[in-house]
Amino acid sequence: MSRWRLTPIILFASWLLLPLPQPMPQARAALPTVEAPRVPLAYSLQEFRQAVRSGGPGKDGIPSIDRPRFHSVAAADALLAPGDRVIGLYLGGEASAYPQRILVWHEIVNDSVAGRPVSITYCPLTGSALGFHRGDAELGVSGRLVNSNLVMYDRITGSEVPQMLGVAIDGPLAGQGLDELRVIWTTWGAWKARHPDTRVLSRETGHVRNYRRDPYGSYAPRRGYYRPQSSRLFPVMAESRRLPPKASVLGFRTRQGAAAVTREALRREAVIELAVGDGHYTVIRDAGLATGWVFHNPRRVTIRVDELTFGPAGVSGGGTEALDPINAFEAMWFAWAAFYPETLLYGAPEDAP
Amino acid sequence: MTALSALCDALIGRPRDAALVGGVGLAYAGLYLWVIGDLAPGGGGGLAASFPAWERVWQTRGPLYFEPVGLIEAGPWIWTFSPLNTLLALGLGLLLGGNLVLGWRVRHAARHCAWRAPGGSLLAALPALLAGGACCAPMLLIWLGLPLAGALIPVLPWLLPLAALLLLASLGILARRLAASTS
Repeated sequence: MSRWRLTPIILFASWLLLPLPQPMPQARAALPTVEAPRVPLAYSLQEFRQAVRSGGPGKDGIPSIDRPRFHSVAAADALLAPGDRVIGLYLGGEASAYPQRILVWHEIVNDSVAGRPVSITYCPLTGSALGFHRGDAELGVSGRLVNSNLVMYDRITGSEVPQMLGVAIDGPLAGQGLDELRVIWTTWGAWKARHPDTRVLSRETGHVRNYRRDPYGSYAPRRGYYRPQSSRLFPVMAESRRLPPKASVLGFRTRQGAAAVTREALRREAVIELAVGDGHYTVIRDAGLATGWVFHNPRRVTIRVDELTFGPAGVSGGGTEALDPINAFEAMWFAWAAFYPETLLYGAPEDAP
Repeated sequence: MTALSALCDALIGRPRDAALVGGVGLAYAGLYLWVIGDLAPGGGGGLAASFPAWERVWQTRGPLYFEPVGLIEAGPWIWTFSPLNTLLALGLGLLLGGNLVLGWRVRHAARHCAWRAPGGSLLAALPALLAGGACCAPMLLIWLGLPLAGALIPVLPWLLPLAALLLLASLGILARRLAASTS
């Protein structure tokens, strides 16, 4: 065979042997984070890592709900009593309720609300519920604890984040803060009254659990592990006896510090003014949901209580229009004081006149 | 008489002893399943069963602790049923029942034949009995809210295999003693 005939055959064969161009892997949006966390770090990341300990179950031994299903208020009414605890989220005009009786078995729901991927997280040992934007990442339960608090992990990078800190302490995202969402720890009756068209997380989670039972005790009335005076199970990085260990506080954090308000103070006062670091903050009681809304109020705008209105998106009017909302969440005092030992505490019995 | 034939004779040779082994096994299995949370109150009073998650049969929730595949509601009880947790519970329960029956038989034989069991027969079963209870102890501590639970959790994965080993070893020793006492 002549060379001029052989050359195109060799070229054709070489072309056939060339690897096919691979489609570009679809870029997944990682867990949205902020470089400078908006929380005070009382300890170094190394100290937090050293305080991590096993909670018993292994990684994903407590399985997150990754394909949540929902049902209507009417269907939920057959399963929930008005006093049962739920974690509520209002985002993009959609209301969702996540019953505590389901989350106590799963701790994390990787959901999408109004087209936005979010993770709703709950730690039964610290009584804390927080929401996070999650991009395309999913959060899972690592099976480890810091200050008794759930350590979540990001399933894309493997970074570990204590829920109440909201800052990665290990992995590629170490030092970065998660983008938090306000969720409401309230009762089914209160949430339903505020959001009559809410959707409710169904018990069809893909896992078999006894959703009629809370393995730790009960919130209505408070029994077992949830009793305010009962002792914690795991060691903490800092201890405070200013309140009973499991007393519930509403807390918020800024870069300059942290503050907590007792339930009693929130029941007693419609508006609470607090100075944290150089900043001034206003806590407004929401009696309907038995919670509070926190605003950064640097110019010390006077809140006109009579003009406040409480709607699906929270509080409005009465001077709140120009104020920046700050995320807040309920937690057990022992855990709050362990993560934020320098916290301001408002409404402790020792401060009573 | 060999140790194995003494063991078989002691455990299944007499209907009363076999029933005792089975009874202890079932009681221990029920207690074990209750302590690990598979068996709990909350049933509506009726009888119902559904098995929607057979694909999770091998999936673990912790060391030697498996995902349930179905929900059985019987009267006031709800059983989140995992075949592997149930097998583990029954296995340990039967070993414990076997130890009790064999311990009693060795003691009885020693008295009857004026033969002195070296070291005391029931004493030999003691570590096994303690190990059998050890499976549940850390979880009971968690329920009672004792701060010791945090320190005990790292040893939890070892307790179950340790209990099974001790129960098996104790069963072997008792069987040999029974064979010696009857030969």
